[in-house]
Amino acid sequence: MTLRRKIWVTTVCIILISVIAGYVDYPKAPALRIGSYQKDFNVRLGLDLKGGSLLLYDADTSNVASEDRESAVEGVRDVIERRVNAFGVSEPVVRSIRNGDSWRIQVELAGITDVQEAAKMIGETPSLEFKEEAIPVPLTDDEKKAAATENEAVKKRADEVLARAVRQEDFAALANEFSEDPGNIDPTTGEKLGGDLGFVPQGTYEQTFDDVLFTQMKDGEVFPQLVQTQYGYHIIKRIESKTVDQDGTQVVQVRASHILFRTLPTDTKPIEDPYTVTGLSGTQLKRSSVQFNQTTGEPEVLLQFNDEGTKLFSEITKRNIGKTVAIYLDGVPISVPQVNEEIPSGEAVISGSFSLDEAKQLVERLNAGALPVPVTLVNQQSIDATLGEQSVYRSLFAGIAGFLLIALFMIWYYRLPGLFSVIALILYTLIVFAIFKIWPVTLTLAGVAGFILSIGIAVDANILIFERTKEELRSGAPLIRAIETGFDRAWLSIRDSNISSIITSFILMWFGSSFIKGFAITLIIGIVVSLFSAITITRTLMRMTISEKMQAHPWLFSISKKESLEYVQHNRASQS
Amino acid sequence: MYNIIGHRKVNYSISGTIIVASIVALFVYGLSFGIDFTGGSQIEIQATQGMSRENLQSLLKESNGLDVSIKTSLQGSFLIETKPLTTDEHASAIETIQVAYPDARELSFSSIGPSVGNELKQKAIVATILVFLGIIAYVSWAFRKSSSLHVKSWTYGVAAIIALFHDLMFVIGVFVLMGHFLGTKVDSLFLTALLTVLGFSVHDTIVVFDRIRERLKIGEEKTFEEVVNVSVNQTMVRSIATSMTVIFVLLTLLLFGGESIRSFVIALLAGMLVGTYSSIFVASPLLVSWYKFRSK
Repeated sequence: MTLRRKIWVTTVCIILISVIAGYVDYPKAPALRIGSYQKDFNVRLGLDLKGGSLLLYDADTSNVASEDRESAVEGVRDVIERRVNAFGVSEPVVRSIRNGDSWRIQVELAGITDVQEAAKMIGETPSLEFKEEAIPVPLTDDEKKAAATENEAVKKRADEVLARAVRQEDFAALANEFSEDPGNIDPTTGEKLGGDLGFVPQGTYEQTFDDVLFTQMKDGEVFPQLVQTQYGYHIIKRIESKTVDQDGTQVVQVRASHILFRTLPTDTKPIEDPYTVTGLSGTQLKRSSVQFNQTTGEPEVLLQFNDEGTKLFSEITKRNIGKTVAIYLDGVPISVPQVNEEIPSGEAVISGSFSLDEAKQLVERLNAGALPVPVTLVNQQSIDATLGEQSVYRSLFAGIAGFLLIALFMIWYYRLPGLFSVIALILYTLIVFAIFKIWPVTLTLAGVAGFILSIGIAVDANILIFERTKEELRSGAPLIRAIETGFDRAWLSIRDSNISSIITSFILMWFGSSFIKGFAITLIIGIVVSLFSAITITRTLMRMTISEKMQAHPWLFSISKKESLEYVQHNRASQS
Repeated sequence: MYNIIGHRKVNYSISGTIIVASIVALFVYGLSFGIDFTGGSQIEIQATQGMSRENLQSLLKESNGLDVSIKTSLQGSFLIETKPLTTDEHASAIETIQVAYPDARELSFSSIGPSVGNELKQKAIVATILVFLGIIAYVSWAFRKSSSLHVKSWTYGVAAIIALFHDLMFVIGVFVLMGHFLGTKVDSLFLTALLTVLGFSVHDTIVVFDRIRERLKIGEEKTFEEVVNVSVNQTMVRSIATSMTVIFVLLTLLLFGGESIRSFVIALLAGMLVGTYSSIFVASPLLVSWYKFRSK
């Protein structure tokens, strides 16, 4: 490749890179979509710039067998993550950090500055509970009296409506006005049905209701008494009846309408929560694991209880044969299996339509809930969003001011080459910022400081090159050769000196909390890109524009004619 | 051309004085570590009408039994430091303040347990040692072919490390004094600055050493002393110009960058200045001194 061709190819590459960087940097740049791959170009700001809370928990794994520690900690992390998701935080970051023998869980909540609230919600230990179907609880004498009084009042109301119904008032209208039957409202349309129950054969309703309707009433009649069932008092109207042929036998069907007045139970309490606590919980779980069903091959979750849990589980299953037992995780039922027989082995299987991943995840959660892995809050931080915003503006201002100072200095001191280095520096800023967005690097305050600092350092390579070029010019070298020599000779120094900075940055990355890591990463990116901008970009710009004719204007290169002459003379004198 | 190498004894005595003074100050005053290292809490409160350090101090002492130290920031907020607070203690402290000053706003809060602080200290020491080892190894490797009649390649590494140590002590000395007189605390950002300074300081030194290597090859100068002196002079403008640009950005960061990175920027600034000085006046003269010592 000829030099000329090489310059053109490089120029095209530089323009291409700049355009891409400019596109990515543009604040409203739409996300990139290639097939199912999607990439947005948003700036990721760290908590100290965006405002939010950071919580660091120490997981005490001392009571956990070392091979289970990782899954225990992962389980804790998952539980925390689910709790955090409940806050409605955008992009919460929950990660486990291992440091030798100690396990930590770090939670970053952008936008949440109420660190108390957050810590409280997260700090609850995961809960696994076994619940059984609630058995009605008998009422005390006082409660019975109160219920009876209440029911008296209900009966009085019902009697009044019954009198109106018997007087042939519109039954459907009365039903819509007074009926407390939740079935009187169409669940899809929300319309009231006028108490209509539709056609049914005998034996469908509760005994008393059924007897009255089928044996003591004629079509079009309102039963002149209240009928009491477990639900309350009914006023019943038999609307019509028909005989249908059902598999050869003639069956009478009756269409009825009713008005329900609900009463309170007088012997047991109304059931609100269908499941009650059994005393069996995650604390009695020894461990859980994934297994596969022998017949269906579907993944299942096996639970193993400790001695206490085994005894409890055996009792629970014994008294609930034929009923269901619900397994609650964090207050939500995750599985409601039916008990077929007493289980004395202390092993329970949760089968359901799990995918393998779901089963694994559940095991992690259960092990975490079951294993004693207490977490303690060791570090918390919260930053007000306005403070973060101020920091962003301050840094931005500092960055622009610093950039302008450098630009002025470079142009004043190095003239034409200085101007090129400033153009390269602008491209440098664009490219680095684009990389931050693409990577994406989370920008913290220290990271932004690192970025601004790197602008100052980025011109170092240019300074090395220009100083070298000046030396060559002073010793009387022709312009083009002086520039090329400047680039070639300075390269070694540039390479060697930047490698030491990169070594330091890598050590900082290892050392770092996330804030320091941000600084180190921005510094490394800055150094690498500065090599490209200061050398490739500046060199190409100079090769394209500088011609031998400019030798006549040494001012452009901040060399005086006199200076170069003197140097040449001095050299000659010392050589002779 | 300046006769820098010829006057190296003057430079050594200046640098020696600085290092000795830093070490003495370090032992007399000690560094005051921030909550990153010691564990503790820091609450930043936006100042409101009538709020003062004394008021806050006695308020928190009486209502919450907290011994606090309070600083004011340039942005007009109060930085309250105390022992590590639990979530509840923090909540009640904020409540106390907000009962007295209803408009008071908490800008930031951090609480760090002592175990985390100890871990950080250990890591800091390990990181510093790693940086030193990494740099000595790298410099020796980069100059592996530069063993000459005058000095062996590892001498460059050792000279660079001595210059590094010099820089480190200077920055620490500055912070000991700032800690003593202005209450500046050493935090993890300071440590970052310190390690970054190490990287940049050796960056400068390497540029000078590179030139020495080149001049040795060209062989225009008669003595090793002359070679080093010419090299230092030729690279001096570059060293100063580079430092200028970095100092520009650091100054803007210092002026506009905000409270939380102030000490970080000061550490970088001090390190940058001393790093430039040491690459010219310490590291390179040391090569000559070593050479002279060996040839006796």
